[in-house]
Amino acid sequence: MIRFALLLVVSLLGASVSVAQDEDHSNDLVTALSSDMVSIQSNFTGTEIVIFGQASDIERAPHAAEEFELAIVVEGPPQDITTRRKGRFLGVWVNREAERFQNVPSFYAVASTADIGEIADRTLLDEYGIGLNHINLAVSGVSNVPLSDRDDFRRAFIRLREESDLYSERETSIEFLTETMFRTTIPLPANIPVGDYSVKSFLFNGGELVSHTEETLAVAKIGFEQVTFELAQNYPLVYGVLAVILAIFTGWLAGVIFKKD
Amino acid sequence: MQLYLPIAEIPVNIFVIFAMGGAVGFLSGLFGIGGGFLLTPLLIFSGIPPAVSVATVTTQVVASSASAVVTYWRRKAIDMKLATILLAGGVFGSLIGVILFDVLQSVGQLDLVISLSYVTFLGAIGGLMLFESVRAIRRRKAGATPSARKPGQHNWIHGLPLKVRFRQSKLYVSVIPVVGLGAIIGFLGTILGIGGGFMMVPALIYLLRVPTNIVIGTSLFQILFTMAAATIFHAMGTKTVDIVLAMTLMIGGVIGAQFGARMGQNLRGDQLRLLLALLVLGVGLRFAVDLLLTPEDLYSIAIRKGAGA
Repeated sequence: MIRFALLLVVSLLGASVSVAQDEDHSNDLVTALSSDMVSIQSNFTGTEIVIFGQASDIERAPHAAEEFELAIVVEGPPQDITTRRKGRFLGVWVNREAERFQNVPSFYAVASTADIGEIADRTLLDEYGIGLNHINLAVSGVSNVPLSDRDDFRRAFIRLREESDLYSERETSIEFLTETMFRTTIPLPANIPVGDYSVKSFLFNGGELVSHTEETLAVAKIGFEQVTFELAQNYPLVYGVLAVILAIFTGWLAGVIFKKD
Repeated sequence: MQLYLPIAEIPVNIFVIFAMGGAVGFLSGLFGIGGGFLLTPLLIFSGIPPAVSVATVTTQVVASSASAVVTYWRRKAIDMKLATILLAGGVFGSLIGVILFDVLQSVGQLDLVISLSYVTFLGAIGGLMLFESVRAIRRRKAGATPSARKPGQHNWIHGLPLKVRFRQSKLYVSVIPVVGLGAIIGFLGTILGIGGGFMMVPALIYLLRVPTNIVIGTSLFQILFTMAAATIFHAMGTKTVDIVLAMTLMIGGVIGAQFGARMGQNLRGDQLRLLLALLVLGVGLRFAVDLLLTPEDLYSIAIRKGAGA
């Protein structure tokens, strides 16, 4: 009965319910997002997204429940990001070496039922980009970073992204509601970039990937924020002239209001 | 109250921004300066991306100089011919500034150039002002009267060709230093997010010998239009003018300026200049310390392409 009710919740909330399409295991992993759209308005200070799901495989093999592990990865639209390191030059601290990471996620959050390293072996994690240490950080050909320092740049990049809450790894944050129903909450900070996000869920059994699903989540500015942003991007001249007119008008108005004597 | 900035793409506390605009507006009213050189660093230190800070302050300077220009216009204290030639140089300098701004940003040296320029210009101007105001205060204490400007006093600038007559300023000088001065101020203003009044006013007085009653109005007029051009260039080039941030700063600024102007009337000129000199030096010093001290984090990241670039 509880299970039925939860399924109902999933399907009601299920703005986008997605079903795994594996050949051997049909319908063994079902996931849904609390919302498939995050809208950014003037009062936006961050939000969170809840991911629900059911893994029916676990039910079929109840005694092996411990062997099942889940990982959910939320990824933002790709970016090219330059990481720079300061060094002393003529007594002054300036940016010296730079490494450019290409097509890296602008946002990355992973939730799992266990430590990432225990879910599967390295190659599988690398292949699907599960875990902060397994994201594909491709670098551009041109770089003045010595080979021995490359790892420092990778680590610094991940650390800086973690510090701005854009990358996160939340091990054992997936909560089971029943034996097969699970739920996790991913916080989306106020500085998330807009674009199309993907939410990928992976079900592992004894280190083997048995099923996975993928859903999309749109993060978009709406209303005034959207109009302003699009004006600035698509009609920069109009936007610039508007800003000047607004400034001159404000200044003139203040001059009139506070006119002395 | 948190407000999401559509261009900077971060939420800010609107009251903090409003207070910053008000405080800088107060000082600008007090000293008769634009205040860009204070506002831009304040925004950068408070976490607004440097590119957004610089571009948005140019818009704010338009508003703060517009309200003052109206006053000087009524008093007919603007030399239109001089202002127009300065402006031509200013727009050109501003255009070069935006191009260089883009280049520096892509090679990752924008912050360094901004910091070095602040140290150099604020240090030099602040030092000169400090020296000059201390001397003036000493002289006043000693009871001597400051010597008036002697007519016919010339320097090398007055020997340059292409001379033009500026009737209102009672000047006959070459256009080369006028255009050059406008271009330098426009260039620095665009790169640093400052109006440049604190550099323009002394340059007009000491280099070109423009009468003091015309200097401020003329300088403000040139700053208004150079910064208007800089706003448009930034909007088209770097696309970092945040209209919501600018509006908040403007409202805080114009209100603060009124209180500052009233308080300024109760202080002596040389005391005001001493305070301003210390303020300018302080900001310059803050940048120097950041350049010299070992940074807390040697690494930094910048988005080059894709979402949020």
